[in-house]
Amino acid sequence: MDSTGIIYLTFSLVIVLITFSFLPHFGPGIYRIIAVIILLIAVVLILMLNWIDFIVFPAVSRMLGITFQPMKDYKIVKSQDAIVKSVGGIHYAIGYLTANLFAYTFKAENPEEDVDSRIAEAPDRWERAVSGIDFPFKFHVLSCGRDVQKARDALEGKRGYIEFQMARLAQSGKQTDTAMEELQRKQSIIQTQMDRIAQGEKPISTIMYIETVGVGVTEKSALDNLAAQEARLQVALSSLDIQIIKIVGRELYSIFNFNFSLPTQYNEIASNFDMQG
Amino acid sequence: MDNKIFIFLGLLFASIIVLAAAIELPLAIFPYFAKLVLLMVAMFFVVLAFASRYYSYLIIPMVKQRSKHIMLDKENTYWLSASADSIIRKVKDTFIATVYVTIPIYRSATEMQPEEKLEFANQVSRLVGISKDPVRYSTQMYVMDKDAYLQTIRDNVNAAENAAEELSQRSAPAVEIERAKGKIAMWRNMLDTISKGTSLELVTYASISATGTKEYEAVSAVQQKARDVISGVSTTFGVTPTIVTGEEILKFVEPEHMIPVTTISAQINKNIEEEVI
Repeated sequence: MDSTGIIYLTFSLVIVLITFSFLPHFGPGIYRIIAVIILLIAVVLILMLNWIDFIVFPAVSRMLGITFQPMKDYKIVKSQDAIVKSVGGIHYAIGYLTANLFAYTFKAENPEEDVDSRIAEAPDRWERAVSGIDFPFKFHVLSCGRDVQKARDALEGKRGYIEFQMARLAQSGKQTDTAMEELQRKQSIIQTQMDRIAQGEKPISTIMYIETVGVGVTEKSALDNLAAQEARLQVALSSLDIQIIKIVGRELYSIFNFNFSLPTQYNEIASNFDMQG
Repeated sequence: MDNKIFIFLGLLFASIIVLAAAIELPLAIFPYFAKLVLLMVAMFFVVLAFASRYYSYLIIPMVKQRSKHIMLDKENTYWLSASADSIIRKVKDTFIATVYVTIPIYRSATEMQPEEKLEFANQVSRLVGISKDPVRYSTQMYVMDKDAYLQTIRDNVNAAENAAEELSQRSAPAVEIERAKGKIAMWRNMLDTISKGTSLELVTYASISATGTKEYEAVSAVQQKARDVISGVSTTFGVTPTIVTGEEILKFVEPEHMIPVTTISAQINKNIEEEVI
């Protein structure tokens, strides 16, 4: 979570926690119990919105049957996982999937593997995957250069935190090989990134995603076609060993807007996609 | 300061006011039940304040419109610039211009040696880090609009048939008539092959945005950025990228331009035939 997120969370929770000290004002017995329940529900809702807002908001809009119009002729459906456009009686359903190819772009992060051969295979695998697809789709890589000093400071901070976790794990006596290996792996990734920056490489942030369009004479058939296409994309791209997740909620809205205008600064990207960063 | 902060602080302030009212409500007039209702309202504001960080674009229109179909934007949100090489959006008082640059890469992994594949993959990695500004690189597969091409072939079939007819009428040598018949067969075969199924086309492009307080400022800034990207891509891949102009831009923006209407009609007819059979 970034610093802005921490400020939002702290201020919201502080108000709820202060209200606990005023519980006697809400009455005795059952009234006080109800007040406690209301406060606990507020805390749970805030924490849920912090970690799983992409489940909560679409669930609310689905339950209430709310749809949104992000632009003239477009409609975000109530499950917030697709955008539909109607032109001349034909419906076009647009859906997005995440598709991070980090294993191929940050090759130094997997030093134990034969990375060169894996990277050399990537164009072949990509062509094989694409040749099996017979419907329209787009693969996007949104990249943004970052300030070198800020990136190095952030990496140093992360490395310090991981070293602290490793020291705590070693002192606790509950040391498990897998937990320690995981921390060592993270440390090695961060160290590799720092070494590459030291060698003069520019730090960049990327967001990779796939967009596909399902067509139908009704909205339902367009959405059904979209779902089928998304499933086929998952199968086709499975040979690239990438994690493919359906994009919903606010990220769907942000990514849809990228079709018409892109962010012009790193901060604009980071504030929308801090959960993916 | 960002509007989101004011929304957050405003909602927190509203919750504090309602909470104070709930605590100070005179019991002689209002029962404990009224206090609980006010507590619920206050907590609703706190949760809304926290959610406003990411969802202010939904919350404000939802509160204002109180409908099941919420309009986030009902206008046409972009238009083509006077120079016809970028699309423009206006967000509050800022103009955002976006340019699309095609990258003509026609190399296939099947015709590359292993070291060439590795070099190609590394070139793609370098491509992502060309610019410090946010740039989106996309590979788009879309359905070709073959109508004009098919019409040309049909015309060729007609022309070949007329030529054969003319030859047979003026008792031309058998070799010439055979050659004309061969031509007819060739064009008919081509027509059959090309009209069978859909043909897909793959295009790679980059998109870049820039802002300005005036439309021409944004256009000028984005053109400069586009030139930087073109020069970077050209150096990396040794190709000549070009800026997309006019209606061609719509192919990268609007979903209906990814699939020609004739293809959709053919697909719908095919689906109906399959269902009937």
